[in-house]
Amino acid sequence: MIGRDPLHLPVAAALVIAAGVAWYGGDFFRHEVLAEIAIYAILAMSLDLLVGYAGLVSLGHAAFFAAGAYATAACTVFFGWPVSAATVAAVGCAAALAAVAGVFVIRVSGVFFIMITLALGQMVYAYFFKASEFGKDDGMAGIPRPDLSMIGLDATDPQVFSALTLIAAFGVWALLRTVVGSPFGAMLVAIHRNESRVRALGCPVPRYKLAAFVLAGAIGGFAGSLIAQHSGFVSPDLGFWTVSGEVLIMVIIGGMGSLVGAALGAVVMVLLRHELSHRAFWEAIGLPADLASYWQFVMGLIFIAIVLLAGDGLYGRLLTTWRRLRRS
Amino acid sequence: MLLDPGFLIVQTLNGLQLSMLLFLLSIGLSVVFGMMNFINLAHGTLYMVGAYLALSSVRWFDSYWVALVLAPLGVALIGAVFYAVLLRHMQRQSPMRQVLVTFGLIFVGFDAVRMVWGALPHTIPIPAALDGSVTVFGEIYPTYRLFIIALGVTVLIALHFGLERTRLGAVVRAGVDDRRMVAALGIDVERAFFLVFCLGCWLAGLAGVVSAPVFSIFPGMDMSILILTLIVVVVGGPGSLKGAVVGSFVIGMVDTYGQVLAPELARVTIYALMAAVLLVRPQGLFPVSQAH
Repeated sequence: MIGRDPLHLPVAAALVIAAGVAWYGGDFFRHEVLAEIAIYAILAMSLDLLVGYAGLVSLGHAAFFAAGAYATAACTVFFGWPVSAATVAAVGCAAALAAVAGVFVIRVSGVFFIMITLALGQMVYAYFFKASEFGKDDGMAGIPRPDLSMIGLDATDPQVFSALTLIAAFGVWALLRTVVGSPFGAMLVAIHRNESRVRALGCPVPRYKLAAFVLAGAIGGFAGSLIAQHSGFVSPDLGFWTVSGEVLIMVIIGGMGSLVGAALGAVVMVLLRHELSHRAFWEAIGLPADLASYWQFVMGLIFIAIVLLAGDGLYGRLLTTWRRLRRS
Repeated sequence: MLLDPGFLIVQTLNGLQLSMLLFLLSIGLSVVFGMMNFINLAHGTLYMVGAYLALSSVRWFDSYWVALVLAPLGVALIGAVFYAVLLRHMQRQSPMRQVLVTFGLIFVGFDAVRMVWGALPHTIPIPAALDGSVTVFGEIYPTYRLFIIALGVTVLIALHFGLERTRLGAVVRAGVDDRRMVAALGIDVERAFFLVFCLGCWLAGLAGVVSAPVFSIFPGMDMSILILTLIVVVVGGPGSLKGAVVGSFVIGMVDTYGQVLAPELARVTIYALMAAVLLVRPQGLFPVSQAH
């Protein structure tokens, strides 16, 4: 899937249009869901840079999500910083965490990388769970949203905030698209495909991996900052490893190494999570509404089915179908 | 406090007890990983199911000893079904896909347990024969916890002889070293893998049963133990009995002493230890030479 990728612009355009349509006619609840989708799309795209391009399968990406969220909470609640400055600080904190952790984690590869990043995520989770200055397992509340009164908008309005997050998601997509299209991106893909050959060519492979890890961590921290502003509170659960796993599943569902695929995966996962935990959904399809409280069971089965059946993810499927149509 | 001998004895025994639980859990995970480069994230779920099966056995038969026999067998059976239905078909898939399938199983297992046994925590009584305390080096210590340590040591010795002295053990050791070569010699590695996998599940179930009277049984009890087990595998180096033993011992002790001496750091000490080990020896303390 890496390499020639003729559908990414049309699919990205379709996603933008769909988001626009959904946003325009949306009610309160839909705007909340849209913001959530946009934030998880940012997180999933940043993970896709690692998984799909650099070949570093991380199961601890939620560490940066949580770090960004807590940094935002600390800067706004403790220091009274404006949200914009807090967001920048959150990105910086997440990048710093990624730089320190990256030195350790990029030393290993394969399944070891999965396990050590998993432990990294749990370490961050365990820290926030016990840190009394950050409210321990209760987390922190009272995180404001950005002050947009200068341009006459009110970010506490879900409609405004969801638009903000959608624009942010688009910006992140454009940024990452530039990164993967650059020589740096090409280098990451080359390392993914044949690391020893790239090493033999004299390329400082660890430095490239570390740079990718820091960039992905910084963007993950940005997503974390947005989720803190979105819900107004933070808790250690943001860093729990199931979050990392879900984001990884988003990337797989959508299709690794395509960015728009990761965004598509975020759309599917967030919607699934909302629908499956709603009693009305189960009643609508004629099944007992009690299944709503066991939505994780159904979600787990869907995970497994998707991993087993959809080899290249939704975007990969789309690409294969399109190629077959063009050939015939 | 640190130099008080009573404190040292009790905490060291607590550490040993955790080490033995971690050993029961990590050895199966570690050897399966060594043989097939496959990591089962649902290993903690098997541990949880073992504890819940023990709960049901105790309710039905009113005997802990029946539970000790039945529950691990039940877990091994579940593992065998899982192998036949899913795992066998995805050996050629990338490790990431295998990991993600077992990740999905964690969610399924979590809610399945909630459906069957409810969300409230349970506990089972300590068997009467072990429900007391003995004096160890002048310190009073619960008998049952000593039983866990003794059981762990027994399993360790049995596994050591199983691996070193039996034919299956030889196949497993050879399979960890170079799986393709073993297959080329006409030995059914697949079957050996299946048996090892089931044994690993049985041990995870056993760990669940023996820990049930000490810790409370609740949906989600699988998560924290799973992470510790993974760390043991990473620190010890996957694929070897020695790695699992040393890894369990180190992690069990550091976690126990860490929780007592620096509770605010929680498990951060463990992760720091793992990072340090990986920095010095990226393949763990006792890596098995990977020929393939």
